Amino acid sequence: METKSEIFSQRLIVAVIWNLCLQSLLAVVLVFFIQIDLLHPVSWISSTIQDIFGWKMGLNIVLLAFVSFFQAYIYGNYYMMPMPKYFTRFSMFLNMFSIQNITFSVLYALSGYFTMSLYSSLAKSNFNVLKKKCENYDGQCLMEQSLFLQFGGMWMGLYYFLKGHIFGTTALLFPHIYQDKFQQLKLAISNIMSMGFKNSVAPVIYFSIFYYIWGNKPRSVVSEVYGVFLEDPPLDNILNLIASGIWIGLWFYTSLFLISVYTMRTIFNIVLTEPMKFPIESESCLTLYNALAQRFQFNGYLGAQDLRIMAMTDPDRRQHIFTLSQPGGHPRNWNNLLEKCLTIIKEFSKELDNINGDGKHVELDNSVNKNLLNVTPRVGLYSSNLRNMAQSPDLLHLKDHNRNKVEDTFADVAKEEFNNFLQKLCQKPGINYFFGELTDTRLKFLLMQAQPVMWTCEGLAFIAAASLKEDNYGVVQNDLPVVISTMINLKHSIDKLTKPGLIHRKHILNDMFALKIKSALISSVKRSIYKIVFTFSKYIHEIPLDPDVQIALQPFLMCKEA
Amino acid sequence: MSAFHGFPDLPGADETAFCKIDEVYCCGNARYGNITTFTNTTKKHPVINVARDIHHHRTTDENISMYIDVEDNLLKKITSVWYKQGFLEALGVAADPGVNRESPLLAVAASYVLKVANVFTAFRYFLQPHLKDIGPKIVSNYSRTRNWGNAPVKCLAWHPHTTKIAVATVDDNVRVYCSEVQFVSMLKCKAQGHVSSLCWRPYSASEIAVGCEQGVIVWTVDPNSMFTKPSSSNAIVLKRSGHSPVTDVSWSPNGDLLISCSGADTSMMVWDVSMETAVPLRRVAGGGIVFARWSLDASKVFAATSSIIFRVWETKRWTPERWCARGCRVLAACWGPNDLLLFAAKGEPMIYALTNTGLMSGAQTSKAVPILDITKVELASGHPVGGPVLDMCWDPTGRYLALLFEESPLIAVFCTTHLMMQLKITPCCFINGVDNELPLTMAFQQNFTDGACLTIAWSSGRIQHFPIVYNM
Repeated sequence: METKSEIFSQRLIVAVIWNLCLQSLLAVVLVFFIQIDLLHPVSWISSTIQDIFGWKMGLNIVLLAFVSFFQAYIYGNYYMMPMPKYFTRFSMFLNMFSIQNITFSVLYALSGYFTMSLYSSLAKSNFNVLKKKCENYDGQCLMEQSLFLQFGGMWMGLYYFLKGHIFGTTALLFPHIYQDKFQQLKLAISNIMSMGFKNSVAPVIYFSIFYYIWGNKPRSVVSEVYGVFLEDPPLDNILNLIASGIWIGLWFYTSLFLISVYTMRTIFNIVLTEPMKFPIESESCLTLYNALAQRFQFNGYLGAQDLRIMAMTDPDRRQHIFTLSQPGGHPRNWNNLLEKCLTIIKEFSKELDNINGDGKHVELDNSVNKNLLNVTPRVGLYSSNLRNMAQSPDLLHLKDHNRNKVEDTFADVAKEEFNNFLQKLCQKPGINYFFGELTDTRLKFLLMQAQPVMWTCEGLAFIAAASLKEDNYGVVQNDLPVVISTMINLKHSIDKLTKPGLIHRKHILNDMFALKIKSALISSVKRSIYKIVFTFSKYIHEIPLDPDVQIALQPFLMCKEA
Repeated sequence: MSAFHGFPDLPGADETAFCKIDEVYCCGNARYGNITTFTNTTKKHPVINVARDIHHHRTTDENISMYIDVEDNLLKKITSVWYKQGFLEALGVAADPGVNRESPLLAVAASYVLKVANVFTAFRYFLQPHLKDIGPKIVSNYSRTRNWGNAPVKCLAWHPHTTKIAVATVDDNVRVYCSEVQFVSMLKCKAQGHVSSLCWRPYSASEIAVGCEQGVIVWTVDPNSMFTKPSSSNAIVLKRSGHSPVTDVSWSPNGDLLISCSGADTSMMVWDVSMETAVPLRRVAGGGIVFARWSLDASKVFAATSSIIFRVWETKRWTPERWCARGCRVLAACWGPNDLLLFAAKGEPMIYALTNTGLMSGAQTSKAVPILDITKVELASGHPVGGPVLDMCWDPTGRYLALLFEESPLIAVFCTTHLMMQLKITPCCFINGVDNELPLTMAFQQNFTDGACLTIAWSSGRIQHFPIVYNM
């Protein structure tokens, strides 16, 4: 049995190897172009080859390997972590200074420094060393350009970290169609190049401003430590900076740095999102339903994606689902799969309901659902603020405790007063800005996790539709009512988000990305219901459904549900 | 023996064909006849005559004569042409001795600059021949509608699950007719110009993709809403630089992906419509992608380019299989049951079949099989039929194949039967128009349970439903 993160780490390693190959290719291309000499092509090519197989290149590749391994480590950490849930500005601010982030920022600064000096050494520039021989008098002088470049490298590392990880979101984006890795890379490469050269302009300008203001401090420190003199005009003067032309170098190397980071990101995205084929039943490897059970992890995503692909295109594995176990004759495969899928959909609609009801406990419609929910094992790793507190066993315990012991009412009253006071305090304008809950964050974070739910819905719908012809034992038909009512429930929960007038002000979405995900979710749920309803339209009255669900199905049957 | 031998005789001079019921070809008087005397299957179908509707809305050509021509001075003329049409056109105006009578020096200079520019454009067209035409010209070149630029109906599309039809008219509005409601929704927005294709989203009641010059517009038309003119907030415009004009849109049969093609773009876009992201699919050679067709089970996509090359993409890993048509580009193609593909190439009166591409036939070495020779013949009534194909439709069950010819006023419908992996094609009937009507475009209704129903747009603006009913 593969452990939880085994697939993930395997893929990370593959990504690192891919990354290494591409980065070396980038370095070779760089060397090739820098030594360009059209008049002496033979010496150009021979010197290029010499450089490529020289010790410097080898060292560089080793360094690159280190850098990309550590970047893989960072990525691994970011993707394996459950989504952060910070709903106030203050907690977001605090989160910026977590130990992890500080370590990462140091690592990124180092990586920027290394990459920059690596490319500049490959480009045979003389800005690799801080010291040079003075021209006018005896002794060592400071090479300020190299100081500028090296500091620039760290700056770029930090800048990228801030922009990409702190202020940006690091969600894995699964492409909607899967092509070969090579094809995807080919498509991305021109984009990466232009983005690299374009996006490097801003940080270079920021750094020049920074250096203009603060540049004299590191310079004096460095010259004191090394005991060197300053001979050239200082670079923290705008005219000197422009005249020295070092900003062009910085821009070029920053572009290379960004290109290499983007390449890495793209490769990670491509390798990590590759669809994986899980077996339906197996002793040795991770099965589909086990993958689905790891809901908030990487495997859960892969499982849901595979479920959809399997339901749409793979009749062999579908046949596996419809078979009965030997001995026994139970549809074990289907039951396991269904249970996991329903858990995913139900948990999601419950969380949506919690948001809709704003913390009020929402009763589930029928007891059948409840039983199913109780049977399903909870995903232990996930401890969310979104989970309704009223349902946690601890609180029940607390309630009982309170009921039994009436005497400590004073503490209760004090606590309540304090809470009220806190709430009032939070509504004061200034404090509200920092400690008040941000408007759409909760819903946004929930919607960010909607991708596997969409896949699961579509997968279930397609399996159900295929069962009409392929399912000889009627394994799936037995559970059709549950599938339909779960989907209708989810649809109701989503509908509440879109009904104008009913939405709480807190949950109006401003974020474009979240809005798109919401519409994708609605469309996918409706398509799934339509798929089932159209397939079974002739027999829909023979399926034992709740009257509520039957009413909700009517617009779908008449093809009137927009 | 000609493929058109064995068809029932055409109706008489005043008569027209209404339907075919259980092998009986039903004709009646063109003016007084009524299809309801023969069958009730299309009783609830919307009655459409586009010519009446658009008469009031026409804003283009005729009204222009109302405006008086004003003589501008030369500089103003050149700048306005530059602003509206571009630099090269402005040079052309400056070099034209008919317009530019004031400064011959400028005319000579402009003509030399134009010559230099022409060398560059010639070189560019040598590299990228598909860019030669612009905008509507490309669309009308590749359109499967007769006389696309001026026809009252530009294209039509049936909803896959319900009796609802969308018709794009000459004024670039899309009208949605429904069997249950009397009113007609009219979709119109600023970006919607030169509509080339329509496609309803499967497993959705409301979404329709409209391919037009700027890109793809996906409308959401709420079937319960009473608004006849939905606002443009119900539309998403999907644009991509270089991907214009869109010549074809098609949804996957599962309703999850949308493919848009442009005759001027070598890549076809696979859209995730909700997220508004596209993945371009491109391979070397072939020029612009003209149209794409999904197979019925969504496992394959046929993509025709503007050259002799066409590709069959497999949709699991999106790898193409490359084919070459003999002679000219593929004009029309349609998928049938069992992944059977029929296509017709330009300039050759022959329908080819492509079965089990790549699997059983051994990939590239196998050839497409010619299955129907449609060389032009003259019928006893004097009507020509056959010759180059304009459009081809296969009904969703794969029983009837309708052919629209470039040089014939008739539509030929054939019966197709699968016997032991072989496709047998037998004559069914001809459909003719009233008076001198020419068929513009046609489509089979997708949810017709009593057989097949072919909907034809005639050049008079009349839209006819022609049911072929069989009781098993």
